[in-house]
Amino acid sequence: MEQRTSLQKSELGDVLREMLLIRRFEEKVEERFRAGELPGFLHVAIGQEACAVGVCRALEDGDVIASTHRAHGHTLAKGTHPNELMAELYGKAEGCSHGYGGSMHLYDVERGNMGANAVIGGGLPHVTGAALAFQMRGEPRVAVAFFGDGATNIGTFHEALNLAQLWKVPAVFVLEDNKWAESTPESQHSPIRDLSERAKAFGMKAMKADGQDVEAVYKTARKALDQARGGEGPVFLHLDTVRFSGHYIGDPQVYRDRDEAKELRATRDPIESLRAKLEVSDDDFAILDAEVTEIVEASVEFAKNGTDPAPEDALKNVFA
Amino acid sequence: MATEVILPRLGQGMESGTIVRWLKSEGEPVAKGEPLFELDTDKVTQEVEAEASGVLLKIAVSAGEVPVGETVAFIGEAGEDVPEVAGIAPASPAPVEARNSLLQAKEEPAPVATPSGNGRIKASPLARRLARERGIDLATLRGTGPEGRIVADDVSGAEAGTTVEAAASNSLLQAAPVPSGQVERVPLTNIRRTIARRLTEAWQIPVFQLQASADMTRVNALVARLRERDPDVRITVTDVLTKVCAQALMRHREVNAEFTEEAILIHPSANVGLAVAAPQGLVVPVIHGAERLSVVEIAHVRADLVGRARENKLRAEDLEGGTFTISNLGMFAVQSFTAVLNPPQAAIVAVGATEDRVVPVAGGTAVRPMVTLTGTFDHRAVDGAPAAAFLQSSKESLEDPGLAL
Amino acid sequence: MPELTYREAVRDALSTAMRQDDDVFIMGEDIAEMGGSMGVTAGMLEEFGSERVRNTPISEMALAGAAIGAAMQGMRPVAEIMYEDFMTLAAEQVVNQAAKLRYMSGGQLTVPVVFRTQGGAGWSPGAQHAQQLEAWFVHIPGLKVVFASTPEDVRGLLWSAIYDDNPVVFFEHRTLYPIKGDVPTEIEPIPIGRARVHRQGEDVTVIATGRLVHASLEAAEKAESDGISVEVVDPRTLQPLDEETLVSSVKKTNRAVVAHEAVTRMGFGAEVAAVLQYRAFDWLDAPIERVGAKFSPLPFAPVMENFVVPHAADVLDAIKRTVGKA
Repeated sequence: MEQRTSLQKSELGDVLREMLLIRRFEEKVEERFRAGELPGFLHVAIGQEACAVGVCRALEDGDVIASTHRAHGHTLAKGTHPNELMAELYGKAEGCSHGYGGSMHLYDVERGNMGANAVIGGGLPHVTGAALAFQMRGEPRVAVAFFGDGATNIGTFHEALNLAQLWKVPAVFVLEDNKWAESTPESQHSPIRDLSERAKAFGMKAMKADGQDVEAVYKTARKALDQARGGEGPVFLHLDTVRFSGHYIGDPQVYRDRDEAKELRATRDPIESLRAKLEVSDDDFAILDAEVTEIVEASVEFAKNGTDPAPEDALKNVFA
Repeated sequence: MATEVILPRLGQGMESGTIVRWLKSEGEPVAKGEPLFELDTDKVTQEVEAEASGVLLKIAVSAGEVPVGETVAFIGEAGEDVPEVAGIAPASPAPVEARNSLLQAKEEPAPVATPSGNGRIKASPLARRLARERGIDLATLRGTGPEGRIVADDVSGAEAGTTVEAAASNSLLQAAPVPSGQVERVPLTNIRRTIARRLTEAWQIPVFQLQASADMTRVNALVARLRERDPDVRITVTDVLTKVCAQALMRHREVNAEFTEEAILIHPSANVGLAVAAPQGLVVPVIHGAERLSVVEIAHVRADLVGRARENKLRAEDLEGGTFTISNLGMFAVQSFTAVLNPPQAAIVAVGATEDRVVPVAGGTAVRPMVTLTGTFDHRAVDGAPAAAFLQSSKESLEDPGLAL
Repeated sequence: MPELTYREAVRDALSTAMRQDDDVFIMGEDIAEMGGSMGVTAGMLEEFGSERVRNTPISEMALAGAAIGAAMQGMRPVAEIMYEDFMTLAAEQVVNQAAKLRYMSGGQLTVPVVFRTQGGAGWSPGAQHAQQLEAWFVHIPGLKVVFASTPEDVRGLLWSAIYDDNPVVFFEHRTLYPIKGDVPTEIEPIPIGRARVHRQGEDVTVIATGRLVHASLEAAEKAESDGISVEVVDPRTLQPLDEETLVSSVKKTNRAVVAHEAVTRMGFGAEVAAVLQYRAFDWLDAPIERVGAKFSPLPFAPVMENFVVPHAADVLDAIKRTVGKA
């Protein structure tokens, strides 16, 4: 096991590429949805790329994640190929959930993705349980949950974190605090301003990082994982991030101040920050952009050429 | 007094039947509802149930053809006297008079059901099924279940005097005998109306008929041998005919056809319909893919279809898809007849009685069991030559069944 | 043959599984030192220790959800939900998550978790501590539902539930815990999905679950002296339902009574009646009777509770109605 506490300089080019891939993927998903090609409804995580990439890069083999309804970024960052993710959004058999789940039920068990969840907080107790299993079996694995600020109010959040801390299981609870629960700003859904206080209420260690700075996310995530993995109890990782888009694709965001959103885009873009830090030229960035765009477009082709499940397949997989 | 066992009318138009064998012996106890003897109408063989319990005192007719309504046995208490058989008049051809005589033979009138106020008869699903199977009219029963519901016990306990002929008749007729001299009105059932409409349509089609006679020696031997080998299956001549015609249709595909305004449709498979006189009327259940079935398999399918036809339990798929029909009146003294086409089919074969005739054989004469087949063909779809070739194939296969292999 | 109480039979299944299999563990409220509110897990903390006999806080969602999470990682947890009424709290995890994870993942996940719970009236527990909610869970595709009524059945079926790879909601009945019954010396797994004919009869089939199995056997004895021959069948597994056994029985007797302690209206018995009506329509000589609790929350005062809840006398009345001797 490598004892790396921060991202290496040599990796940062890859990290930028990865975040940009997620960004272009999400933008493509928005575009294809508006074109009427994607069934159901979707939630993109544009602006939150650094959280997904920073945390997932910090994981070791065998660590598992559970995610939210806004899971495309986590899914890609945890290693699912864009083809399989896009195919799932198109409802094809080649999709990571074979067409059974869709955007909010993305699973890639082989790659340690225990699934997105359409119920707010639905996966939090599973992470407690998975961590419990690792502890009982003596495995050096950590279970990581992603959730948003809205989820810190729901019953499962309190119950799962309480139990996790009580039993000191190797879990990390990652709060992607984008200050919005659907259309409700944090100031209107929580009586406290600093949600890390919630962790303290359980006696759980809380760590904070700027969710738009992928290096900071990585560094703090490593610390959190080390603590959990070391048997010192679960960690609450509070990432301060920004949701550039609406809650769901097509959300007119009537509840949001347009100028505020614009300003955030201009000043808090994790990709732009890293790019600036690495001093990537326009030409080089264009090459990078073209590469990831090609991958994304290929994934759309892959998905469109995919196989529709047989209607009768609906009756499979009900029972093992 | 001993109960007479009469030969029942099992289907509309049935005038007689052949007792094949008795399933109980004289002196044996018999329970009501138990199979008593096997009756062969040449379309189908059926078990006839005893309509009374007691001891089978005497078998008046042990085997052979018997007119409907004739007394064939007596059931009563052991030691009872048994009257001479000659007293009962044989059934006449007219359905009404036949039923009159049967009714006169009965000892008690059947109890009449008191239906509920709005005319609906309350009966449990089980009671309805049993009544249907036994040909008992629910209206003649009294319900002893809650709210006057007719339950299974009421059906089992009923006098089965109103059995099969009640089912066979147009059911609106009353149980009382019709006084002579008055015109009887038999209201049209839906089946009757449908038959009338379809046959009127069929009559407008330009048809021609062809006739051929066949020596049934080998077929009779084949049927006997197959029956011996497989007594449960009871293969009939009709089964062999079905197979033979199916094969001939596959060899002469133009006859397995249907005329439409745009095209003549040639069907890929011989779905042979059999005209059956069921209690509710003439029905033509279909044996699908008869060319692919062995004679034994055809017998199974036919027995099932005819059985269900009798119980009015045919499903839509049993009646659909027919491409050809066989109508067999061979159990009557009908030498030959012309059947009306069964639209939209292009051909139908009418089968007469197999009777011994003197025929030329090898320069001399011999007596052979001969049958006359009359084919009726839709001239819009089929011409004379192919129709004749088809009939010839059929005749040849009957005379030498191996040719149908 | 050895004899165990229903309670001991449950404990025996849990303990035997835990002795031979490290992946099996139990969690629930007050199951450790106290041995469970119904005493089912008494002695297990001493034998297996607190790692494998885990008390949880009063948090049904975390309790159920953590069991699900551990099961997703390959363990075979048995979560005890203290009262059936609290399944309503755990329901989000049981219904939205456990039942559907395998399906939504396109077959990738297996969730071999058992949720054990108990309910049952007759002791004035009041409306929130005695519900019978099996109808909720048999309605959810992806869940297996078991409700055993004898020591032998509960032991054999709990064993099968633990080793079934699907989430199982395992109902026990509190009034049955003390009843004694013969059990095989070694645990004999009973297949999930198979009914049991307790008593053969000719005139009417009574299909009963839980406490009502015993009430029905009592009613059958009384009916016998009235000349009515009653067949009593316990489905044991409610989902998947052993339709074959139930339908053949009714085709034989031509009459059916379905009896459960749960509220009659919209209950599990309604589904059984529908299945029987459809598959044995032409065999029914009487309408199908249903016996269950009347349509009200459970009252506290004993006279009222007694009125609402079904008893052997109600089953006997139903039997008599089917044969027209009411």
